[in-house]
Amino acid sequence: MKRLGLLLLITSVSASAQEITHPTRMNLPASEFSRPDPTDYQLALENGLVAYIAEANQVPLVTLSAFIAAGAVSDEKQGSAETLAEALRRGPTADNAGEFQKTLKYMTAEYSVSMHDEWTEVTLNVPLEDLNAALPLFAKIIRGPAIDNDALERAKLKAAPGGKDLSGESGPALYEGSLDAAVDRFHEVLFKDHPYGIDPTVSDFDDLEVSDVREFHATRFVPANMTLAIAGDIDAEDIQSAIVDLFGDMPFSDAPARVLAPDIGHSTLTQHTFPVEKLQSWLVFGHELPVTPLDDQAALEVMNYILAGGHLYTRMTVETRYRYGYTNDASGFLEDRWFGPGTYTFRSYSRHDVIRDIYENMVDEIDRIRANEVTDEELFVAKGALTEGSFQIRYLDGYTIARNFAMERLRFGDHSRSATYVDRVRAVSADDVLEAAKKYLHPDRMQVVLVGKEIDLLD
Amino acid sequence: MQPIRIAVLGIIFLGIISLNLANAAKFELPIKEHVFDNGLRLLVIERPGESRVVSKIFTDMGALNETPGQYGAAHFLEHLMFKGTPTLGSRDWQREAELHEQIQIAEDALEEERNRARNDIRERGVFHDYQHASTTPRIEELQGLIDSLNQQVLELNDEGPMKRWYQAYGGTRLTATTEQEYMKFDLDLPADRVELFLRVEADRMENSVFRNFDAERMILVEQRLGDLNRPDTEYREAMNSLVGRASMVYVPEGYANDFNQYTRRYERELYETYFVPNNTTLIFIGGVTLEDMIPKVDKYFGHMERRPEPARYQGREPLPSAEKQLTWRSSTMSPRVEIRYQIPGVGHPDRPIFDVLAEALQPHLQAVLAASDVAGTISVNTRVVHTERFGVPASINFEVLVSDPSSLDAAEVAVLTELKRLASTPLAEADVALARKKLRTEWYRTAADPNALAFQIGHFEVMDSWQTLQPYLEAREQASGKDIARLVDSYFVAKNRSVGVVTPEGASE
Repeated sequence: MKRLGLLLLITSVSASAQEITHPTRMNLPASEFSRPDPTDYQLALENGLVAYIAEANQVPLVTLSAFIAAGAVSDEKQGSAETLAEALRRGPTADNAGEFQKTLKYMTAEYSVSMHDEWTEVTLNVPLEDLNAALPLFAKIIRGPAIDNDALERAKLKAAPGGKDLSGESGPALYEGSLDAAVDRFHEVLFKDHPYGIDPTVSDFDDLEVSDVREFHATRFVPANMTLAIAGDIDAEDIQSAIVDLFGDMPFSDAPARVLAPDIGHSTLTQHTFPVEKLQSWLVFGHELPVTPLDDQAALEVMNYILAGGHLYTRMTVETRYRYGYTNDASGFLEDRWFGPGTYTFRSYSRHDVIRDIYENMVDEIDRIRANEVTDEELFVAKGALTEGSFQIRYLDGYTIARNFAMERLRFGDHSRSATYVDRVRAVSADDVLEAAKKYLHPDRMQVVLVGKEIDLLD
Repeated sequence: MQPIRIAVLGIIFLGIISLNLANAAKFELPIKEHVFDNGLRLLVIERPGESRVVSKIFTDMGALNETPGQYGAAHFLEHLMFKGTPTLGSRDWQREAELHEQIQIAEDALEEERNRARNDIRERGVFHDYQHASTTPRIEELQGLIDSLNQQVLELNDEGPMKRWYQAYGGTRLTATTEQEYMKFDLDLPADRVELFLRVEADRMENSVFRNFDAERMILVEQRLGDLNRPDTEYREAMNSLVGRASMVYVPEGYANDFNQYTRRYERELYETYFVPNNTTLIFIGGVTLEDMIPKVDKYFGHMERRPEPARYQGREPLPSAEKQLTWRSSTMSPRVEIRYQIPGVGHPDRPIFDVLAEALQPHLQAVLAASDVAGTISVNTRVVHTERFGVPASINFEVLVSDPSSLDAAEVAVLTELKRLASTPLAEADVALARKKLRTEWYRTAADPNALAFQIGHFEVMDSWQTLQPYLEAREQASGKDIARLVDSYFVAKNRSVGVVTPEGASE
C-alpha cells in the first residue's frame, strides 16, 4: 500500500499489510537496565580524593574533569571565586597564559571552566596522543592556577557595567530580548538582597588581594572537596597510577563546612515588566524551590514532567503550542541548589498578541494539577520517561558514567540516590503527584517577569 | 576494576602511559548495509553490549525541493508529520476522516476564491506588511468553516501521540530536522525496544494526518520571529542571496510572506512524492545487529512498494561572472567585512581540502590582521543558513569583525592581499599539519557521540553516499600546503567573489 490519498486511507488502514499495533499492545520487553556499579569505576585516595575512571575506546580521545564544591557564593570575600575562575581559565602558575593557550592549541584541546553558584567544573578534552602531557598539565591547573593580579583585573573587568560577555557577536542587541535575559531578571527579582543574588562589584575587587584568592583556593580546592572523572581511550590501571602520582601528595584536610544559605521570604503574586522593543516577548514566572527532602523528590519530578517538564509532550505544551499555535515552547524548570533555595520557573515566549493567552493557559494548568489527580496514562508515560529514558542516558557511555558518579559523590557523599532512583519513581502514585503539586506550586507567590512589550498579565 | 584505596605516595608524576598510537588516525566506520527490494536502505553500526540504540530515518528531500512562494514548506511538513496517524492520535478515526475530507474541500474552495479575487486581494507593494490581509466575504466564510471543522477534529484528537509513546518506553533525544537537503527524525531508545521506532516511523512515513494545520503554521511564524530578533539574520540572508542566484541552498526556511501560502494539498504532494522507501535511509548505532534488524525492518517497511524515483535536486549555479558587493547599515551589528567565494559540494575532490584550508587560514589570517594593525577577529567557515556542507556548491566565508569601522577597508585589503599571496606561496606545512590534527580531533569528538555519528552518515548519504564519508576524512589527511595554494589560485578569484560590508547606521551613503 502506498499513497492512496486521504480518503482511500480511511478504508485501507485495517486491510493493509502494514503493522500498526498500538505501542501499548506491542509487548515491548520490560527494561533490563541496571545502573552501573560505581565501585567498578572508583579510585579513592587516602587524602580523600575520589576519582571515577572509565574506559571508552571508540575513538582516541580522553576527557579529564574535576568537580569542586566551591562556587560563586562560596567565597567569604566577594570576588574571590570569580577571580579564581579567571585564574583557572589562564592555566597553571608555572606557565604564562600565552604558553598555556599555545599548548592547548597544539593539543587541539577543548578546555573549559564553569563556575556555578556552589560548584566549579574544569574539563580538558584531548586526543590520546597528548594524554601524557595533558594529565600533568591538568593536575597543575587544579593544584596551582595562575592566581595573580592579571586574573584579578580580568575578573574586575567582567564585574564592570557592560563587562559581561553577552551572546557573542550579536552582543547586547540579541541578549536584551531573549529568554536568557528574562531568566536573569527573574533571578534578580527573586534573590534580591539574598546571597544568591549578589554579584561582586568593581569596588569589591578594589578591596580584594591576590592572597585572598589564594586562600580561597587553598581551603576549597582540597581532595576531600573535589572529585575527578576521567574517561576515554585509556587503560584504567595506568590512569589510576597517574592520579596517585599527580594528586596523591596533596595533604588531607577536611572539606569546608557546608553552610546552608538562608531561605527566601515568601512573596506575593507580582508582575515585573522590562520593556524592550522586539518582535516577541519573553515570559518567566515562578517562585523559590526549597531544598527538597529525598522523600518528595520523585513525586516532584513526576509532577513536573507531566505538567511542563522541558520536553515535547506536557500539559503546558499541549495547551499552548499544539492546540493553539501560540508558542514554540512552554516549559517548567525545577532548579534546586545544593545548599539553599532554588527556583521553580515556567518559561515561554511568543508574539505579543498571544503572550497573555500563553500565561493564562499555563496558569490554568498549574491550577489543574493542584486540584485533580493525574491520569494513569500520564503517570505511566512520566515514569517510563524518567526511569527508562533520562535516567538511563546518564550512564550512556564512559564519560557520562564517570561524570555522573563524580557529581553525585561530590554533592551527596555517596551513591544511594542513584541506587534507589528507579524504585522511588516507580512507587509514585497519583495521590503523591497531587500532594507534590500542592506542596511545591504556589500560584499566590509567583513572580511574573515579562521582557518585551508592556502587557498587564495579572488584571 | 575494583575499588582501590591507595596510600599517598607523594611522588612526582614521572610515569609514561603507553599509548596506542596506531589509533592516531582512526576513521574506520564499521557500517553494515542492507538494501531492501523496495529500495529502503538500512545502515547499522553494531556495538554489542550497548543497552541503547541511536535510531534515525533520513529522507532525501528538503528546502531544495520547494517551489518559489512556498519556501519553508518542507520544514512545515516536518511539523505536520508530528501530528499523528489514524492509529496514533485519534479517538474516532472514521468520524475524524470525514472531517478532514470536509476541510480539504473547504480549502480547495478557498484556493479557488483566492484565485478568483486575486486582483483585489494580492499585495503589490514593495514596502508591504507581510500581515497584509485583504479578504473577501467568501474567504472569511471558508476560513471560518475550516476553523470550525478543525475544532471538531481537535475534540477527537489525543495530542502528541508519537512523542508520548516514545517517551513512555524510554525514548530520548526525540528531535527532527529539515535543512536544504534532508529531513530526518531521531530517537535514542533501549535497544530491545527498537521495534517501537520502526512501528511509529513506518506509520509516520505512510499515514501522516495533517491535523491542526493552521495553528501549526503559526509555530513557523514564531520561529521566524525568533530568527528576526537576531540582529544579523537579515544581513546573512542578504549575503546568501548575493552569493547565489539560482540554488535553493541560499534560501532560508521561508520568509514571513510564505507561511500563509502553504496548503494541505501542496504539503501532501511533497509528502507523497518524497516519503517513499526508495528515497529513505534508516540508520542504527548501538546494541543491535544487522542480522536482527533486517526482519524487523521488513516487518514494518517491507510491504511498502518501490515508487517512481522522486526528482532529486540537480540544480547548479550559473558560472560566476562578476564580483558583487553588499553594503549593510546597522546600529546593532558589529562592523565587519565578509568575503565569500563559491566552493564545490561534497563529492567533488576539492571539497575536503577546503575543510583543511578553512582551519589553516583562520589563525593565519588572524595573524595577518594583527600585523596590519587591524583590531578584529576573523572567522573562516563554510556555513550557509545552518549547514556547513552540501552536496551542491555553497560558499566559504571570511568574516572579519572589526573594533573600529574606519578599519573596514584595511581589513578587506589585508585579507585579499594575503589570499593573493597564498596562491603562489603555500602555507607552512606545520600550519597545515596542525589544521589536519584539529579536524581529526573534531571528527573523533563527533564519532564518540553515536547521535552525531549517525547524523554524519545520514548527511553524507543525502549529499553523496555514506560510502564516501570515510574517504572524505582520509582525503583531508592528505591535504598539503600546495593543495591549498591550488584552491586559493583557482577559486579565490574576483569573479567568484561576493563582499559584504556592515557599517554603522548613519555612515555616509
